[in-house]
Amino acid sequence: MKGIVNIFVTIAAVTIPIWGQAQRVKQLGNVTVTAHRPMKDIGVQKTTLDSAMLKENVALSMADVLTFNSAIFVKSFGRATLSTVAFRGTSPSHTQVTWNGMRINNPMLGMTDFSTIPSYFIDKASLLHGTSSVNETGGGLGGLVRLGTMPDAGEGINLQYIQGIGSFSTFDEFVRFAYGSDKWQISTRAVYSSSPNDYKYTNHDKKINIYDDDHHIIGQYYPTERNRSGAFKDLHILQEVYYDNLNGDRLGFNAWYVNSDRELPMLTTDYGADTDFENRQREQTFRGILSWDHNRSTWKTGIRGGYIHTSMAYDYKRDVGNGHMAPMTRSRSRINTLYGQFEGEYTPCRSWYFTANLSAHQHFVRSEDKNIILQDGDKAIVGYDKGRIELSGVLSAKWQPVDRLGMSVVVRQEMFGDKWAPVIPAFFIDGVISRRGNVMLKASVSRNYRFPTLNDLYFLPGGNPDLKNEHGISYDAGISFDTGKAGRYSLGGSLTWFDSHVDNWIIWLPTTKGFFSPRNIKQVHAYGLELKSNLGWQPVKDWYVDINGSYSWTPSVNKGDKMSPADQSVGKQLPYVPRHSASITGTLSWRSWSFMYKWCWYSERFTMSSNDYTITGHLPQYFMSNISIEKNLGFRPLDLSLKLAVNNLFDEDYISVLSRPMPGINFEFFIGITPKFRKSDKTTNIKY
Amino acid sequence: MRMRTIKNTLFFSILLLNAAFTGCMEQDYGNVEDFSATGTGLFITNEGNFQYGNATLSYYDPATNTVQNEIFYRANGYKLGDVAQSMTIYGGKGWIVTNNSHVIWAIDLNTFKEVGRITGLTAPRYIHFLSDEKAYVTQLWDNRIFIVNPRTYSITGYILIPDMTMESGSTEQMVQYGKYVYCNCWSYQNRIIKIDTETDRVVDELRIGIQPTSLVMDKSNKMWTITDGGYEGSPYGHEAASLYCIDAATFKVEKQFKFRFGDCPSEIQINGARDRLYWINNDVWSMEVTAPRLPVRPFLPYRNTRYYGLTVNPINDEVYVADAIDYQQQGKIYRYSSTGEFIDEFYVGVIPGAFCWKIN
Repeated sequence: MKGIVNIFVTIAAVTIPIWGQAQRVKQLGNVTVTAHRPMKDIGVQKTTLDSAMLKENVALSMADVLTFNSAIFVKSFGRATLSTVAFRGTSPSHTQVTWNGMRINNPMLGMTDFSTIPSYFIDKASLLHGTSSVNETGGGLGGLVRLGTMPDAGEGINLQYIQGIGSFSTFDEFVRFAYGSDKWQISTRAVYSSSPNDYKYTNHDKKINIYDDDHHIIGQYYPTERNRSGAFKDLHILQEVYYDNLNGDRLGFNAWYVNSDRELPMLTTDYGADTDFENRQREQTFRGILSWDHNRSTWKTGIRGGYIHTSMAYDYKRDVGNGHMAPMTRSRSRINTLYGQFEGEYTPCRSWYFTANLSAHQHFVRSEDKNIILQDGDKAIVGYDKGRIELSGVLSAKWQPVDRLGMSVVVRQEMFGDKWAPVIPAFFIDGVISRRGNVMLKASVSRNYRFPTLNDLYFLPGGNPDLKNEHGISYDAGISFDTGKAGRYSLGGSLTWFDSHVDNWIIWLPTTKGFFSPRNIKQVHAYGLELKSNLGWQPVKDWYVDINGSYSWTPSVNKGDKMSPADQSVGKQLPYVPRHSASITGTLSWRSWSFMYKWCWYSERFTMSSNDYTITGHLPQYFMSNISIEKNLGFRPLDLSLKLAVNNLFDEDYISVLSRPMPGINFEFFIGITPKFRKSDKTTNIKY
Repeated sequence: MRMRTIKNTLFFSILLLNAAFTGCMEQDYGNVEDFSATGTGLFITNEGNFQYGNATLSYYDPATNTVQNEIFYRANGYKLGDVAQSMTIYGGKGWIVTNNSHVIWAIDLNTFKEVGRITGLTAPRYIHFLSDEKAYVTQLWDNRIFIVNPRTYSITGYILIPDMTMESGSTEQMVQYGKYVYCNCWSYQNRIIKIDTETDRVVDELRIGIQPTSLVMDKSNKMWTITDGGYEGSPYGHEAASLYCIDAATFKVEKQFKFRFGDCPSEIQINGARDRLYWINNDVWSMEVTAPRLPVRPFLPYRNTRYYGLTVNPINDEVYVADAIDYQQQGKIYRYSSTGEFIDEFYVGVIPGAFCWKIN
């Protein structure tokens, strides 16, 4: 086939760590390496997380998955606590997140807590780095995390149940019921995770005194403490219904309910008694989407409507005697978001591809932060009640004049509230420079804007309605290759250079009135390299090795003006942004056995903008290793899967954030049961 | 043969991974240093960032112009905690109030080593000593002032503040006149309360402007407090800030000096002779306690930064002002003579907020 290189690397008979697939083998990919790549992805820098990564372990959140399968920085405040994601040296609020097309960033904070997204609810996930995010959304100065589910329940009735029992009295339950036919796909999933989360660690930030009878200190030691006030109970339910008329029309319904009750762990420097305080955050979130997709040979359209409700409650209480817990802080927030989107694609000929997309998010936010007594004795609440419409429209034209060359122009326009951002343009180009090895060059450039969040503008006290948009310009260029040999191996890799400037960076600074207020302060220059590689290798029959690796070098430098003559932060790396990060995931499979090794590394992070090597000024680098071993068993009535996961294999004493202890070595055992409802069933039909 | 090769490869790969990825943490713990700071000196409490646990203590020797940073950690081998709010010297010990660690440390003034600690507090702000066995500790997010015994490092009781809930609780700095202790109530408050130290009860209160931030007593037993006036949009109100002079004996406002609406004064301080006031309002300002009006020219002009802390040497009236810069790096202290001439500057810890003089 002239002009098209099709190398089918079919690696058959490969077991992958998917529950309930004792007798089933997966064809891990008809890995199709072709020069006629999807026009949608012309010039796009994308990291795709495959189902093996997403479904590796029912107990994992998307924060855990991203930590070990990408080189973006995951900042974790502890186990089952806030975990944020940042691309290319930017901040977590510069990472946009969509779920089935709907933006799910918290409109008050701008960021997303990835610890509250169970990986078992995500069927497809990809990262669009930097410039590439403009194809999907605005405001992603760092990039976009695109999450979604798929109508893939299989044929007939299918059921799956997994239980995990782990260290620190951790229990994870997962159940999925699915029904599929030619036209209907129905799936119900539920995850419930709970744990006192009271792992032990040696606290090097404090010492316990030993006193004599006269209360003189005669000795001191670092205590072995438990993680205090860290319990959590998280329930997630996901309902999906899809109808396909087999004539190009598909209707979909997705509904995701979250009920989370988490204590907020005490700092390592806290000398209070955990029985004296309660520090708890509760969240109920509902996300629902109705969609209609209409596909024709040369064009397709789609309409989506959605709704998000989030109710957050934060309580900080103090025992004032006799077990009475008096509220010190009682914050409540309610967010209602209406979402609508229209999208269309048109392919008039083989070399042209046009897209259009218009989305609207209408937020209604009520934030109640503090109850006070007024001067006249009446009571009042400090907070705000605001709404904001966020419109985003995009047009793109993609052109592939010859098989080896593709170009794409994207123009996006956004309006938040009554303010318009300047037009966001982006240009992408890629080209195959060698068909042997499918060596491809990619490059892109874009301008981008991020509007302040609702808290940035209106939070009381401190909100600053005069904030300007953050804006940046980004470039990237890279080279990639894919090669392989049928039945033996597949090998791919890419190297990308990126460079971006962000102006009017918003940071919250204390005021002389005792509260924080956001200001447009910094200019940041973030640049560096991203390296990705993957190897699939079948050395002999029944054996399979799969290795994925990534590495990022990310200088992210403050280029703003000095805030005072004494300012030492100009020219320095931003706090909590590692210069280097890397991850490797390796899987070795033999028949129904599977062994996985996961490793990640973050270089040192500074906690101070001046990058001082003071005692609390920097956090040392850390490596983390997790392993798991899995065995799938097939019986007549059901498939059984057994798995042991070991986290922090080498029992490293490490922290990701100052004063936030992390657990040492810990274990979790999983058992997965997949009943066979039909006699002919030898394998489950649930596909993930 | 091929299977054997794979097994060997696997074995050595795991061995290699093990060797490569273990033992890589680089954290040092437990090294302590011996200090001997015998002369007059200045302690600086660096708040650190809320929830970071990076509060530190610095010590400056004005005779030699030398500063030692992170002295609490270096002397003791563990951290000062989260948000070091204030420090007071009493009974030959330094008492450091660490707000969000719920602890007050007592340290030796020369070696900086811990000699005791008071725990069980809510969110302590300041400590005021009444005797060797009694002190008051003010709180944020609590409607009680805690009574502690400094000798046994224990909490012995509480003073309940009327018309204050836990959630809006805020008691701050204290001064004493006879058997009465006066305390400014700050966050979403507008009053000075009067406590009888014999009964440990609030016996009176004086309503003034919105959010009195700090409190000092002059040589004539007049209390001076400065309000910040609240903030725009606050349901509690927003008004021009004021400097108040309150007679301690009559507990009545004697003078009120209004600032321009939008000004944000803070950190009222007094010199050793207790006859001159200092405060921050973008610039650093100073005036005699007998002055009939606010000064028109600052003592130290604005230096393109936002000053965060202020103190006056009680011996020679030298002025020290703290620049927190971006609140995420080592702050800087500027030292000026009593006439406003620059003498020295030095970096300390993150967000230097309060000072404490050790006079020998």
